[in-house]
This record gives sequence, C-alpha cells and structure tokens, in this order.
Amino acid sequence: MLPTSLAVDGSGFRRTRGSRIRADAVLLDPPRRRGVRDRRRRAESPVVQRTADGYAPIRDYALVGDGRTATLVATDGSVDWLCLPDIDSPSVFARILDSGRGGSFQLEPAVPYESSRRYLPGTNVLETTFETAAGSVRLTDAMTLTDDDHLSPLRELCRKIEGLDGAVPLRWRFEPRFDYGRGRTRITRRGAHWVAEHRGEALALGVWDAGQPTHDGDDALAGEFRLEQGGSAMLSLASAHQQPLVLPGRDDAERRLERAIRFWHAWSERCQYDGSWREAVVRSALVLKLLVFAPSGAIVAAPTASLPEEIGGGRNWDYRFTWLRDASWALDALIRLGFDDEAHAFFWWLMHASRLTQPRLQILYRVDGNDRAKEVDLPELLGYRGSAPVRIGNGAARQVQLDVYGSVLESIWLYAEHVGHLDGETGREVAKIADYVCEHWRDRDSGIWEVRSQPAHFTQSKALCWVALDRARALAERGLIPDRSERWRAEADEIRAFVEAECWSDEKRSYVRAPDLHEIDASLLTLAILSYDYPVSERLQATIEAVRRELQQGPFVYRYRGEDGVQGDDGAFLTCSFWLVDALARLGKLDEARSLMDQLVATANDVGLYSEEIDPESREFLGNFPQGLTHLALINAAISIAAASSERETAR
Amino acid sequence: MISIWGALAGGVIGTVVLTSGLRIGQAEGWTRMDLPLLLGTIFTDDRGRASVIGYAVHFANGLVFSLGYYAIFEAVGHAGWVFGAILGVVHAAFGGGVLVTSLLPAVHPRMGTPWSDAEETPLLEPPGFLLVNYGRRTAIWTVVVHVAYGAIVGGFAAHLG
Repeated sequence: MLPTSLAVDGSGFRRTRGSRIRADAVLLDPPRRRGVRDRRRRAESPVVQRTADGYAPIRDYALVGDGRTATLVATDGSVDWLCLPDIDSPSVFARILDSGRGGSFQLEPAVPYESSRRYLPGTNVLETTFETAAGSVRLTDAMTLTDDDHLSPLRELCRKIEGLDGAVPLRWRFEPRFDYGRGRTRITRRGAHWVAEHRGEALALGVWDAGQPTHDGDDALAGEFRLEQGGSAMLSLASAHQQPLVLPGRDDAERRLERAIRFWHAWSERCQYDGSWREAVVRSALVLKLLVFAPSGAIVAAPTASLPEEIGGGRNWDYRFTWLRDASWALDALIRLGFDDEAHAFFWWLMHASRLTQPRLQILYRVDGNDRAKEVDLPELLGYRGSAPVRIGNGAARQVQLDVYGSVLESIWLYAEHVGHLDGETGREVAKIADYVCEHWRDRDSGIWEVRSQPAHFTQSKALCWVALDRARALAERGLIPDRSERWRAEADEIRAFVEAECWSDEKRSYVRAPDLHEIDASLLTLAILSYDYPVSERLQATIEAVRRELQQGPFVYRYRGEDGVQGDDGAFLTCSFWLVDALARLGKLDEARSLMDQLVATANDVGLYSEEIDPESREFLGNFPQGLTHLALINAAISIAAASSERETAR
Repeated sequence: MISIWGALAGGVIGTVVLTSGLRIGQAEGWTRMDLPLLLGTIFTDDRGRASVIGYAVHFANGLVFSLGYYAIFEAVGHAGWVFGAILGVVHAAFGGGVLVTSLLPAVHPRMGTPWSDAEETPLLEPPGFLLVNYGRRTAIWTVVVHVAYGAIVGGFAAHLG
C-alpha cells in the first residue's frame, strides 16, 4: 500500500473541502499564478476522503469508459474498479469492494496534495488536477476507442500526466487482481512493456517518462518520478482476452486519447435538449452512453456490483445487467434527446434478447443477450466498508414482475410513434405479449422493487399491466400490430376496476402498495408519468401528496417504508426523487417541480454523477454507481418541466 | 454411384429441414438463432425484407454446401445417411464455431463485434463463443439440425444415383 500522510478525522474519513469548492478555487486562481507559500498552506490541509481501511466515499468516484467496459477513478487518482474485457466480466481492479485484495492502479503525488477534477467539457474524459506545495500536475484519464486505421488493443486505459507548475514528485502502483481477486497474477517484462497474466487474460502496462517500474512484491509494480512544468508522462494499460496482446507505443496511445476526446465531444454535441439544467442533462446522457454495451446495444443498470444500499449491510446487488423495466425510460430519453441511433440499437436488442422467452418476458438479461444471471456470493471479497456479502449475478432474474410488460409496451409504443412503423414479425410478437398480459395480470408478483418477501398484488404492477394493454390498443388502432382490441379493452377495464376497488385507501387518502399492504409506495408516481390517468385524477393527485407526506425527506424520496424480505434499511431512492419532479410538472405545479429539481441537481457529485440511493442526513451516496435509472429520471424530469413550461406559455 | 443431382436435391430438402428445425427451436424458446434474419440484415435493416432476402441467401448456401458434401463423397468414394450425418457434425462445428461466430460479425455491417465501441451502434448482438448469446441450447440445436441436413444430403447422394 502507498504510505499515507493524511489526517483522519473522527468519522473515519479524511476531512476535505468539497471538490466543487476546490474546482472553483482553481478556476478563479490558476495554480501557476500563486505563490509558493499559498501552495504550501493548501497542501498542508488534508486531501481525499478515504476511511482508515482504505475506502473512498462512493461520491468521490468518476466514471470513464469506452462503450464496452468502464472504470471508476477516485479523487486521489486511484482506479478502483475495472472489469475486463466487458462491463460484466470479472474485475481486474476491485479495491472498491476490498481495499486489501481487490487490486487497483494508483497514481498520485508523493507529497501532500489537494485535488480537483472535471470532465473535459462534453466528454467522458476525466481531468484531475493535483496541487502540492511543490507545484501542480494534471492527470487525464480516458478509455480509448478502436482505431480503424491502426492496430488497437482490445481495451485501453490511458493515463496522461502533465506538469503545470513547479516540479511534483509522483508515484504509481499497479496491482492487478484478476477474477475478482481470486486469480493468481504473474507479472513479467516484455521489451518496453510489463505484462500481467491470468489464464486467457493479459494486461500490458506501458510506462513513458513515469519512472522505472520495479516489482513491489510478486504481483505488483510501482514507480516514482518527478514531473516539471511543461513535462508530460504517460501510463497506458492495454488488455487482451484469449488473443495476443497489442502493445501500443506512446504516440499510438496519445493519438487514441485525442481521438476519444474528439469523439465524445462530437457525440454530446448531438444532444438536442436546450432547456434548463442542460449541463446536468448532457452529463446524464454521457453517463447513459457509457452504460450502453456497444457490441449489442444493451444498457446496463450500473457498471458496478455490490456497492451497498446500507453501509455494512447485506443489500448488495450486481447491476451489470439490462433490466427491461428501464427500457421505456431509456427509449424515451434517447428519442427526446435526439440520439436516434442508440434508440434504434436498443430497440433491436430489446426485441431480439427477449425472443427466447416471449411472450413471457424475463426481467433482466445479460448484455450479450444471454439469459443466465445466477447469483453467487464472493466470500473472498470483504465488500465496500465491510458490506458483505459481495454478490455477482442477480437472483431477481427469475422473479415474476408484471410491471415489466407495461414498460416494454410503452417503449414499443414510443419507438413506433417515433419511426412510424413496426415490422410484421415484431408486431405479431407484441400482440402475443399483450395477450399474455390478459392471461397473467391476476397473478401475484414481486413488483418493481423486486421484493424478496412473498409475492403480492402490487398496485403499480397492475397499473402497468393496464398501460401495456392501453399501448397495445393504440398500436393496433394504427394498424401496427394485429388487432385484438376488444379483448385488450375488456381486460384493461377489469384491471382498472380492480385497482380502484382494491388498491385505494380512504384512510391513507392514497393508492396503496398492494390491497393487503396499506403503505405508500413511491413507484405509484409512475402512474402519473405513464398516463395511467390523463389528465391526472383526484385520486392520483392525492397519492402524489401522500408520497410527499410520508416518503419525502428534504428533496429525497424513499421507495417505501414496509417490509421487503431483506434485512436492513436502505437510503432514499434518487430515481423516485426525480419521478416526483416529473409528476409535479405533469400536475402543472411547475414552481415546486423546478425548486425540487434545483435541489436534486445540486446533489450530484463534483462531476455530475448520481448513485442509486442517498442518505438524506449525510448526503452520502449509497448503492451501485453511477446509476442509469437515476440519470434517466433526471433527463425525463428536465424534459417534462420544459414541456410543461412550453405548454403553459402556449396557453397564455 | 454418387449422384450430384441427388446431392443437390438433398441440399434443397435438407435446407428446408434445417431451417424448419431452427424455427421450431425458436418457437420452443431453445434458441434465438435466426439464420435468415442474420443473413438478410447484411443487406437491409428492415426485418421483413431481411427475412425474405435471408431465406434466399440461406437456400443458396444450402445448395453450395451440398456441392461441398458431394465433393467430399467423391473424394472418399462413399456416400450415405450415416457418413452425411458425420459430415453434418463437422459442418455444424465449422458453421457455428467459425462462420457464424467469427467471420459473420467481422463482415456483417449491422452486427456487433467484441471490438465495437461507443462510436458504433450495431443492431444485432454478436453470437458469442459457441453461439451461446443466442441461447444456451443453440449450439446443441445447431448440431442436431446440421446432422439432419448432412444425413439427407448423404442419403440422397447415395440413393438417387
């Protein structure tokens, strides 16, 4: 481990000023204009928040990726999570799940420092600036893209360091741990590169002007170097999977890094959103793009596994799968932002991946379309800050969750409306899915929250079955799918009658979680967003108020307060918070929606990312990170406010 | 006597059986392997047109492969149901292990590859090792239908001479 020279406060975290503040300071007072005394004073203040046992707050991470895999980089320059070759492959670096044996790629000044960071505007390329008493340096982290004109590594992480001011001593440590830390790693020298191997996996480390690598034990390399103003160094990590390694030269790596910056910038320029919170919306779109697994078009829920919903608890799940539930939110966001190619690819993936089980839909699939998601524990890893067990795979895959049908039919409707047609085969499959809903909406299910308690008649699931049949009728009316509207209408009417008779509580003045679970459930906000009632009925308005009354704490909204069959508590669910914004906008409560949106946008970390959940008291991020559904909900909430504002203006 | 016309006739009927077999596998939820769609989407991203074009290409391939079988029968000096079925296993291993797994993604303009990155938005997922991305039983079912194809081509080549 690197020696630490940083103070630790009583909470276990090293104290720091917020990154946002540091970033502002850099902007207002560029390092190279400052005096040595100022720099020395700053550098004496503690820097990065890691616990005594080496864990950084989830909030301290940023994501870089290439559309195939993604890596988490901490504020102190440590790469703490990377799976290779694909986003759902076993990890090579998993320090975030076990600071001792998980593996990492650390790079930081060898003297006390402060760091600030940002994404290069409109890109997924991360820039971290380290300031020390001796000077300052800038670290640029990016995963490069395949270069069609030159032989490229299968995957490549580039870390470029530039001297901005003074002369800064730096150090790095490369500690790969294949197969979630279970694999045996062997590191050998091959010419100008160092190669780490485990079975069919290989990593080549290229080091240019970054010191002489030396073995630090059998399975790690370390180096130290000094970077002066105007100087630069480069570390590149190239991977291979069951094939020979491609060993890049420095010029190749630098060229690909520049190319990646150009690509991301051009991609984000395509975003057609021009309303309020544009920066947050574009950042969310860039996150979403990193969650798209380019070889298939699938979108993972998050790039991480087993980041806990409760510190020290057991609510640790693997999110490196594609949930069909997210389909409608994803397609809605992609289409509304103008990313037609991604929407098209995701729709094809959706219809192709679900072919094995149609008309029944499995709730999640692997990114390669495979339907296996067996959940297993990894006792070898301690878990984030002791949050065990670490799980890979996801047992929810075999659950019945009826709301999925509403989400999928809504996404098909959105897609068909956008492109204007559906091919005949897809149309026939869609009609069969609607028929399946007619036959199964009376079943109990595990609901949108994937409870592991006994299945129930969840209100949101029933309402989403109604949405499924409503969209099927709309598609049939346009002649896009075979017309069995009479049956679909009759069943939809029965669903609505069930919801109104069994799922409303006069006492709570709200729809409830299920007929026999008289609790408020934030997922019922989706009834307003998916137009279960349009215009929003009094009952639905009352339900939204009940969510605010019983589940809202500050700007944050909990999912529910009742049992779900899993021990322990979880934080407030950020997606629900943005759903509340969306619902308020659709109710016409624009001032409240805008105010809440402002608060939520300010809750992002220093580079604009959100996790799945948040502790409303400490604002600590919880759960997998960054969470696609949260970013989708942000995009859709911003667009809903813009649309409602526009409607109001038009009405005037 | 080994008959080239028998082999060609076997190629037509064998392709019908092979295609129907794959379709049954899809309907039963054993596989998402859809050869006509995979082949047709080389030319268009319209699913309907792709299937029509794909079936034509697929039948042409069936005939070409039957000529390959015939060449092997001639070289060995023997044809028959059993020998054809054995060649069907080799055919499945080559088709599933090399042609569709490796070569098709490399040339298919709408299929992803392990190298596809954020710059690309392919429409079809790559089949993966042993076609496993199209369903776990795809490899087994592919061998079964190719054995049927091989047996029919071998039998027709031997008995229609």
